[in-house]
Amino acid sequence: MIFKIEDVTVYFPYDNIYPEQYEYMVELKRALDAKGHCLLEMPTGTGKTIALLSLITSYRLSRPDSPIKLVYCTRTVHEMEKTLGELKLLHDYQVRHLGTQAKILAIGLSSRKNLCVNTKVLAAENRDSVDAACRKRTASWVRALSTENPNVELCDYFENYEKAADNALLPPGVYTLEDLRAFGKNRGWCPYFLARHMVQFANVIVYSYQYLLDPKVAGIISKELQKESVVVFDEAHNIDNVCIEALSVSVRRVTLEGANRNLNKIRQEIDRFKATDAGRLRAEYNRLVEGLALRGDLSGSDQWLANPALPHDILKEAVPGNIRRAEHFVHVLRRLLQYLGVRLDTENVEKESPVSFVSSLNSQAGIEQKTLKFCYDRLQSLMLTLEITDTDEFLPIQTVCDFATLVGTYARGFSIIIEPYDERMPHIPDPILQLSCHDASLAIKPVFDRFQSVVITSGTLSPIDLYPRLLSFTPVVSRSFKMSMTRDCICPMVLTRGSDQLPVSTKFDMRSDPGVVRNYGKLLVEMVSIVPDGVVCFFVSYSYMDGIIATWNETGILKEIMQQKLVFIETQDVVETTLALDNYRRACDCGRGAVFFSVARGKVAEGIDFDRHYGRLVVMYGVPFQYTLSKILRARLEYLHDTFQIKEGDFLTFDALRQAAQCVGRVIRSKADYGMMIFADKRYSRHDKRSKLPGWILSHLRDAHLNLSTDMAIHIAREFLRKMAQPYDKAGTMGRKTLLTQEDLEKMAETGVQDMAY
Amino acid sequence: MAGGQIEKLVKYKSTVKDPGTPGFLRIREGMLLFVPNDPKSDSKLKVLTQNIKSQKYTKEGSNKPPWLNLTNKQAKSHIFEFENYPDMHACRDFITKALAKCEEEPNKSVVSTSSEQLSIKELELRFKLLRENSELQRLHKQFVESKVLTEDEFWATRKKLLGKDSIRKSKQQLGLKSMMVSGIKPSTDGRTNRVTFNLTPEIIFQIFAEKPAVRQAFINYVPSKMTEKDFWTKYFRAEYLYSTKNTAVAAAEAAEDEELAVFLKPDEILARETRHKIRRVDPTLDMEADQGDDYTHLMDHGIQRDGTMDVVEPQNDQFKRSLLQDLNRHAAVVLEGRSIDVESEDTRIVAEALTRVKQVSKADGETTKDANQERLERMSRVAGMEDLQAPQNFPLAPLSIKDPRDYFESQQGNVLNVPRGAKGLKRNVHEAYGLLKESILEIRATGLSDPLIKPEVSFEVFSSLTRTIATAKNINGKNPRESFLDRLPKSTKDEVLHHWTSIQELLKHFWSSYPITTTYLHTKVGKLKDAMSNTYSKLEAMKESVQSDLRHQVSLLVRPMQQALDAAFHHYEVDLQRRTAKSGERPNGYV
Repeated sequence: MIFKIEDVTVYFPYDNIYPEQYEYMVELKRALDAKGHCLLEMPTGTGKTIALLSLITSYRLSRPDSPIKLVYCTRTVHEMEKTLGELKLLHDYQVRHLGTQAKILAIGLSSRKNLCVNTKVLAAENRDSVDAACRKRTASWVRALSTENPNVELCDYFENYEKAADNALLPPGVYTLEDLRAFGKNRGWCPYFLARHMVQFANVIVYSYQYLLDPKVAGIISKELQKESVVVFDEAHNIDNVCIEALSVSVRRVTLEGANRNLNKIRQEIDRFKATDAGRLRAEYNRLVEGLALRGDLSGSDQWLANPALPHDILKEAVPGNIRRAEHFVHVLRRLLQYLGVRLDTENVEKESPVSFVSSLNSQAGIEQKTLKFCYDRLQSLMLTLEITDTDEFLPIQTVCDFATLVGTYARGFSIIIEPYDERMPHIPDPILQLSCHDASLAIKPVFDRFQSVVITSGTLSPIDLYPRLLSFTPVVSRSFKMSMTRDCICPMVLTRGSDQLPVSTKFDMRSDPGVVRNYGKLLVEMVSIVPDGVVCFFVSYSYMDGIIATWNETGILKEIMQQKLVFIETQDVVETTLALDNYRRACDCGRGAVFFSVARGKVAEGIDFDRHYGRLVVMYGVPFQYTLSKILRARLEYLHDTFQIKEGDFLTFDALRQAAQCVGRVIRSKADYGMMIFADKRYSRHDKRSKLPGWILSHLRDAHLNLSTDMAIHIAREFLRKMAQPYDKAGTMGRKTLLTQEDLEKMAETGVQDMAY
Repeated sequence: MAGGQIEKLVKYKSTVKDPGTPGFLRIREGMLLFVPNDPKSDSKLKVLTQNIKSQKYTKEGSNKPPWLNLTNKQAKSHIFEFENYPDMHACRDFITKALAKCEEEPNKSVVSTSSEQLSIKELELRFKLLRENSELQRLHKQFVESKVLTEDEFWATRKKLLGKDSIRKSKQQLGLKSMMVSGIKPSTDGRTNRVTFNLTPEIIFQIFAEKPAVRQAFINYVPSKMTEKDFWTKYFRAEYLYSTKNTAVAAAEAAEDEELAVFLKPDEILARETRHKIRRVDPTLDMEADQGDDYTHLMDHGIQRDGTMDVVEPQNDQFKRSLLQDLNRHAAVVLEGRSIDVESEDTRIVAEALTRVKQVSKADGETTKDANQERLERMSRVAGMEDLQAPQNFPLAPLSIKDPRDYFESQQGNVLNVPRGAKGLKRNVHEAYGLLKESILEIRATGLSDPLIKPEVSFEVFSSLTRTIATAKNINGKNPRESFLDRLPKSTKDEVLHHWTSIQELLKHFWSSYPITTTYLHTKVGKLKDAMSNTYSKLEAMKESVQSDLRHQVSLLVRPMQQALDAAFHHYEVDLQRRTAKSGERPNGYV
């Protein structure tokens, strides 16, 4: 359908639209007009992504003189593929209606691991070795060498791409990663470098959060994006965690050992160069004197990860004199490693601010703050000079230099925590020195500063006033949308007791109680026998899931479950989990039915949808609190309390409940869909916990469903499933329109009535 | 089962408590034969299949041994204990088929006795059907009570209703059980430390399917290196080591015994399969790709110990395998289903067949183009939001099977609503037929394609068919939706319909009686012919009685019925003449 929002003609690829989608577009347009940032919470299953994409692309079409660029950030690669899938649909529709002028170039961008088409490079098993294998074939000095020595192996795809030079362009269209690979293979051009090159021309770029938030990656990929871009963070409820993770580093024993080995290697290389090509080292020294850490513009294939510190915090000065010489720099690093080794030998937990850490480093190892700050740049320059290609081997020293640079750059918002072992496993000594960032606003600040509009959106952003504080920005629009329901297609329940009336909870003192474990098991046994197709269960942690499944296996509960449905489980092995998910879907497709056991905060909970028959019921076992004794969490809570006056209990509950809401929210995708959600813990019946759930779940949580036992829940589930199986009127009844047609919208535009009756 | 004969080792028991005589059971189509191993034993047994009344058997999964209990008509029972369930099922299927055949025979030959043999249950079923279906009741009343047809003849054509076909004649392939094989518990005798595992082919099959390395090891080692028994002993020893979770012991034992190590090491074949499969996984699920895109969690970057993710003890020990992995693997195998159709006692054959199947599926996997295409299609399907799209309502009338006329009439409406001659769509029947013929020829030449028949062709054929039907009804140029039948008085309409059904019934019996080979059929045909001529005259009378303005229409309706009857009469006459001519030649040839 085609309709107007104020002066923008919106092309929406469906014949109907939900009222909340329309409102979402109106708000979004206001934010774009105001060239400001916005914060929008809209329930899952209301088509956020398509509303957002169609408004922004239409907005671009209506302002041909100042075309905006859309930078769409997703958390995961598979969400990226999904988004591009929807964009394809939209693009087809717009081209059909507008002709070639609507054509855009949209690309997904990922790492070499996901884009490379060179079979030899791809044979490397993990990401780092793929990167290194690529560099071995494409680094400028390798290519220079190959002109003399024909035995040096190069990558044909990269060579062809280089030969095509500026002619290597993608024709307009929407390219998923698969499409990029296919195109690259077809043309014989390297898809990875092609995609990176096309970033500056593309109208829409879809990539992962880190490409914008993590300075190490953003420094390379997103350096050249223009200011007139709209940046969207989808599923952004965890954005604060991504931000603090981007600036956190830790050092372990193995890191130090590896770094020492790296230094030996570097030392050897330096000696070798001194003997054969002393001029090169001297040239580097001169360059550093002149204040150029890097030798001009690096070709794309030489680039490695960028500086871990944020761009405006990096000093534009010459590298200090004491580390200009390669040998001196190696000595400094050796001293640093030695000092860190001593610190790791502690027997108690130590917490320190960066300032005191730097000063003790200065007094005991004689390394100044400014020297620390330049560690990263200096290492980068040295590695380039020494023509090191196997970057994956040199990760430990890189980690140490990242640590040094960050600790030298930031005095506030960080703390250093040294733990001799993990709290939960005191018998295994595993010392770790962590530099952890507490302030999420640091990493995202450059994004807010640089781009005209930043849109933060998700299904769960409650309480919506907390996010501007955590990320310290002022949104021009901040709204939370309700869901207009055609029928009550979600059915949340709080289960507090088992059939034997004993309370259930994952509270620490109760969770391993046999009664609780049995009651949790019985709940599932009963549910799998009445719920069709897919059932998903989330547990609070891997170890808890591991334990409970083992117990169920011993007591025969698992066998009872397996009589009804197949059982699939998320494990810590990503490949295995992916296959399990694939099989799970197939089991649901063929009607066999299956149960998927997963973990809140796990990879599955983060981004896999269990919509339609893939999930008719979600059971959330327990409240997914963080491990509250963690030192880092404590430090972060303290920081939040001191700087933002956020109470620690509030923050913990907020965090646990957003995870819970995220888990159960995966069950619904559209209003034609339906699903049940069971919160199986007595703590959910308390108001202070429950009230932190997003509004669209709360509004369906009836008072009668707040304190259920297993048998009552079964009864409700049966009733609900029977009700949902009936045909219904999709357009909504009794004056409450839940599906708008073109005429409805036109009528609304005429009468000027913006507020729909929800 | 080839050759219509099956032979199994069984124990024969005359009563439940009887310890049983070992021997073998041979089943042929007509009879069952039990021959005891001990030739002196007097329990040799021969049962004719016709005499078997019913069979009972123990359910799989109950803790009873696989018994088959056959009851004969004298209510004497024979119990056979089989070695395992598959044997029993094979026999059971065989007997079921033989029984079904036997039941058909008496109906043909021993008509007089069959009604006596009817069980009460069957009678009840017939009554129930008659009660529920008034039309059937009327027919029954008309023909059976007036002795045109016998009760059995009447029902013989309605076997479907009586559910005789519901006896499964083909053997359905069983899927795999959901239960985990690794859960099999050994039995102990309570006195010593010995444990005993009971392995059935079912369990072996599952082990082989779930653990390709074990399968491969079996092919490699048995019987060249060790006996099958030794092999399984080793296997369970390894399983035991797993279950103790004592990795140190496992490692030590594996170092000493290289065959044992095969079971303890991570499964290589499985790992290869996994790598192969991951490439074809749905991209919207592919979490491995995420890992490849994650630069925040580069070695030691990001937050390690903030309690969001819990730590699990280092898992890189190669002698460790978790229950969770086993569960996933098991579910995947169950989902794949039984890929081979080998029912063999020989473990080796099973193992080899499985390996072959895997290789074939791998070869299929090489043609990844289709898989990619499918992946993309699946994605685009998922991308759309179904309830925002316009409902795909095509003009159609709900199909009501109660009265098939509705179907044609609603179609007729559609056809006639199309502007005549629009785009030259209007073609006559011959053209449509020509098109259909052409596409059939094409299918013959090139094989089946997708779509099977071109939409235009099928549209042509359908529309011209409906139009032909329509014109017959529409000849008066009246409202096309109103059928002519509706304009008849109700009594006449009912009469016409009733005549039509009764003529159908009579004709069905009539034609099925030819060629006449027995006296019984001869008399039956005679009776049928009388009944038909009776109906014929009734039709004539009805035609006369209707009002003059409807007469033409009624005669149009009646004509096909009369034509059908005429054809039957004609056949009857010709056959009779031929027969009398023959019997004239050979007076003693036919009684």
